[in-house]
Amino acid sequence: MLQLVFYIPLIVGIAVFFLPAKAGRLALFSTAVIHAVFTALEWFKISGPLHTKYFSNSPEGMLVLGILSFLFLFISLYTVFYMDEVEMSKEPVFNGSMLLFLAAMSMVAIADHIIMLWVAVEATTLMSAPLIFVHRSKESLEATWKYVLICSVGIALALLGCFFVIFSMEMSNVHVPITFSSLTTVASQLDPIWLKAGFIFIVIGFGTKMGLAPMHTWLPDAHSEAPSPASALLSGALLNCAFLAVYRCHQLMYAAGLGEYSSNVLIAFGLASMLVSAVFILNQTDYKRMLAYSSIENMGIIAVGIGIGGLAAFGAMLHMIHHSLVKSSLFLSAGNILLGYGTKAIDKTGGMLRLIPKTGVTFFAGFAGISGFPPFGLFVSELLIILGAIKAGRYVAIGIFIFSLILIFAGASKLVMKMVFSEKENDDVLVPEKWTRALPPIILLLTSLALVIWLPDSIYQTIQNAISSIGGTVNG
Amino acid sequence: MIHISNIFLALILLSVLLSLRSNRLMALVKLMAFQGIIVSAVPLVLDTAHGLTFNLIMFFLLLILVKGLVIPGMMSIAVNKVVASREIEPIIGYHASLFAGLIMIIFSVYITNHLNLASLPASHKLLLVTGITTMGAGLILLMARRKAITQVIGYLMMENGIYLIGTALAKEVHTQYVVEFAVLLDLLVAVLVMGIVLNDINHTFDDVDTALLGQLKD
Repeated sequence: MLQLVFYIPLIVGIAVFFLPAKAGRLALFSTAVIHAVFTALEWFKISGPLHTKYFSNSPEGMLVLGILSFLFLFISLYTVFYMDEVEMSKEPVFNGSMLLFLAAMSMVAIADHIIMLWVAVEATTLMSAPLIFVHRSKESLEATWKYVLICSVGIALALLGCFFVIFSMEMSNVHVPITFSSLTTVASQLDPIWLKAGFIFIVIGFGTKMGLAPMHTWLPDAHSEAPSPASALLSGALLNCAFLAVYRCHQLMYAAGLGEYSSNVLIAFGLASMLVSAVFILNQTDYKRMLAYSSIENMGIIAVGIGIGGLAAFGAMLHMIHHSLVKSSLFLSAGNILLGYGTKAIDKTGGMLRLIPKTGVTFFAGFAGISGFPPFGLFVSELLIILGAIKAGRYVAIGIFIFSLILIFAGASKLVMKMVFSEKENDDVLVPEKWTRALPPIILLLTSLALVIWLPDSIYQTIQNAISSIGGTVNG
Repeated sequence: MIHISNIFLALILLSVLLSLRSNRLMALVKLMAFQGIIVSAVPLVLDTAHGLTFNLIMFFLLLILVKGLVIPGMMSIAVNKVVASREIEPIIGYHASLFAGLIMIIFSVYITNHLNLASLPASHKLLLVTGITTMGAGLILLMARRKAITQVIGYLMMENGIYLIGTALAKEVHTQYVVEFAVLLDLLVAVLVMGIVLNDINHTFDDVDTALLGQLKD
């Protein structure tokens, strides 16, 4: 049954708080495996949802759930070995929160009831907050405070948006369950003005969580202060969940015949995010912050792709998959770099290919991937979005899109080149590399490569089903 | 005839204005407890309320317990640990905040009158006015105060406002206990998490002034 994907991590997560650290690590990894098994059962339609009142297995939700489960498997494997190297006074809290965070994100992926979706998104904020301030430094406290407060206030606005959507139903005297699946069937009868107002609040609310500019201010702080496995999860999985919430409302708008309005809103926010990250990435001194700004950029790309629709919507979905894989690989590599050099400052790193060669290679390959170089998947997805935009005649939008991509590439490549190739005076490496910690990022990168060469038919079909409701096609 | 719900709404507005004026953290927490109880009881006294089942009454009792007792209780524990229990230098002064609150009331009456709400009963329009004012005042508190505790109270006030707006607009929501219960649980955990972080901020910086949190910048 579908709900098990969040019941199991929830129960194990609570138990882990009371278990010794070593047992917690084992529980973390074994729950990840069990989660992957149940996700596979859902993915291949072997079992379905038990009560369809609040939950359903929509194609876009399955896509997000699949990515989440796959990432969590390798991130938890990495965490097990990462914990050997770091001093963490409250390790059970960290492991337990990781599992609760997994539970909350799985709930977002399968939620169908509009308020249930809101509850799940808010739960992701609360469950991930302990992950960020686990080190209890001044900086991490500040990051957590900003994260909890900005996201909670943002998501509270989304609740207001949800109420507006429900009111648009009551205004026009339609009475169906408040789930996305039943609302889309009666969408054309809903009151358009309240629906529009609701959508704006929902985009601002969940967009805060997704890292869309100008509501992104929490994101660089949280991503840079969290321990690397948590950053990988935040960037690779959480942002997708927030995007899913926005996407489901966009589907509703499209079904109500207001697709053009919601598309324009998404494109505007997307382009703003890309420009903001292009400006701020130029003078970064901290490599984790640099990766965080790159996440803002990529969420912007996805929003633009979905907004343009057609072929670009297919590109956006592909972009979501590949960004998750490559970005979480990069954050795991960043964790290895942090262990090796003991600092997040770009200036104090250098000579990675000589000192920590495995991580040096994965970090550089990941950077090539995230900048959209072939053979990585982001090249394909960005190309599809650009082609889709040209077909749709959105020349101004795509001009800004390409301009920001170039700026970001120029800014980030300067920093990454410095880290990987420049010389370093002393050759001290605090914690030497191990294969156990180098392997998960490599596997994630190779998966991205493999999906470019061969996209399994079930993934292809799921993406098509997910985007058909907003008029997206591969052949359009 | 003065309906009892109007008295409740007036009390909520009063608590909103008082909290904008108050500079003692403990007084703010007490005001929040009062406001929490009244806000949770509003759906019970509305003239559109009908069919009070046992489940419904139990649910509202739980709501009053959480919003009026548990959450303010947690907040007052946090306040007791803080050395400086006064807001010293607010970003926006008390008189200015109070004035902003009054303008907020006029503004919310204005927008409620200009919305196309023919299908709403008259009492719900007043509810909407109160809700928008409470939400706006919560946002003012969030932005205008430095102490982290006041910011949490601003967030709670905003949440109260949204709850009132939801009561005014989306009646359907109040018939689904599972959903409402989940929202309440989220709020409770949010305050718990904020309380833990607050406590750590207090330990690390010896104060809960958010002006001290300024290390992370670009």
